[in-house]
Amino acid sequence: MNPQLVGMSDIPGTYVFDIETSHKALRLNRFFWNMIAADWRARFVADPEGVMTESGLNDLEKELIRTCDWLGLVRIGANFFVLEKFARVMKVSNMQVYALMRGETFEEFLATRKVPDAR
Amino acid sequence: MAKIIGGIGTSHVPTIGVAYDKGRQNEPAWAPLFDGYKPVAAWLEAQKADVLVFFYNDHGTTFFFDMYPTFALGVGEHFPVADEGAGLQNLPPIRGDVKLQAHIAQSLVNDEFDLTVFQDKPIDHGVASPLPLLWPHQPDWPGTVVPIAINVLQYPLPTARRCYRLGQAVRRAIESYPEDLRVVVVGTGGLSHQIHGERTGFNNTEWDMKFLELLQNDPEQLTKMTHTDFVRLGGAESVEQIMWLAMRGALGGPIRKIHQNYYLATTTAMTVVLYEDGLESEVRV
Repeated sequence: MNPQLVGMSDIPGTYVFDIETSHKALRLNRFFWNMIAADWRARFVADPEGVMTESGLNDLEKELIRTCDWLGLVRIGANFFVLEKFARVMKVSNMQVYALMRGETFEEFLATRKVPDAR
Repeated sequence: MAKIIGGIGTSHVPTIGVAYDKGRQNEPAWAPLFDGYKPVAAWLEAQKADVLVFFYNDHGTTFFFDMYPTFALGVGEHFPVADEGAGLQNLPPIRGDVKLQAHIAQSLVNDEFDLTVFQDKPIDHGVASPLPLLWPHQPDWPGTVVPIAINVLQYPLPTARRCYRLGQAVRRAIESYPEDLRVVVVGTGGLSHQIHGERTGFNNTEWDMKFLELLQNDPEQLTKMTHTDFVRLGGAESVEQIMWLAMRGALGGPIRKIHQNYYLATTTAMTVVLYEDGLESEVRV
């Protein structure tokens, strides 16, 4: 047990991205990371199924990607910071992703914020 | 000799870059943020800062998890601003000073900070989001950047204490550089926020204020905190505030606060603070 992480599992709704998680989800996270390249983005938009298969993703991963299930992806080890690159490709804003992570509609989420126009 | 003339703590929220690109600085929702940086930009200009040392984190952009460095120092005359999935931000390449960067790398390694050196790589919003609020960039940036990336993504992260000590070692590196350069150290990230999982949207302004007070007056207290403590108090991604401790370590003794702006609009408590060496009682009017 990493002594820096004692008590972390008691914090609700929080997923620790450690080396073991990273190892298990390396292919998935690489698929998202590749979205920093314009040619990869174009290829994905043209043929999402082909690029997912080429990336070695399994059926569950593909389904969570098809349905943009952001929370489901985090739960299987997606790192938020590569996930947000994929959100850009899907034309979804981080604020929209945040709402879905909380299980709220975008409007519900905005209503909880101090200055909802700052987006 | 090179000299550290001050320190800055700043958020690096990517939305800042988007709002900046869209020219939204004067809109009611954004003005409290952008106006909060103006005194810092004015100070940097008046102080004729030559160099900004950035303690920042890469967001799985320049580095992927197949090789993710704990500490990495960038060496180069230019670093392009990274494409993070939405094309390129409209900024000129970040400028570097190879001789200074190489000196700092050498000094840190000899000081037992065995960091990675990267070259010829883009740099993401960890630096590029706050930089245009601190320095003008037309026609070009007025000075150079020393980028020092810290792993705050993939546990195990360096401890808060280790980051503080890295800052102290960076101070020794700068003070042993023969050229007369005026250097400002910048710690990025935070303050309270969480942007993954069901706890997304968590903030804690009371803790943010306590953090700022301890950072200035009793940073040793913060170096005793675990990563779990940071996550519990400020949200999962606020653990990146260990990078502010690197900045604080580089400032050394007593510091006085010249300016602070705190703006919690949506999910991140967007903050900028400017410090100089010295006691609060010495603040010049």
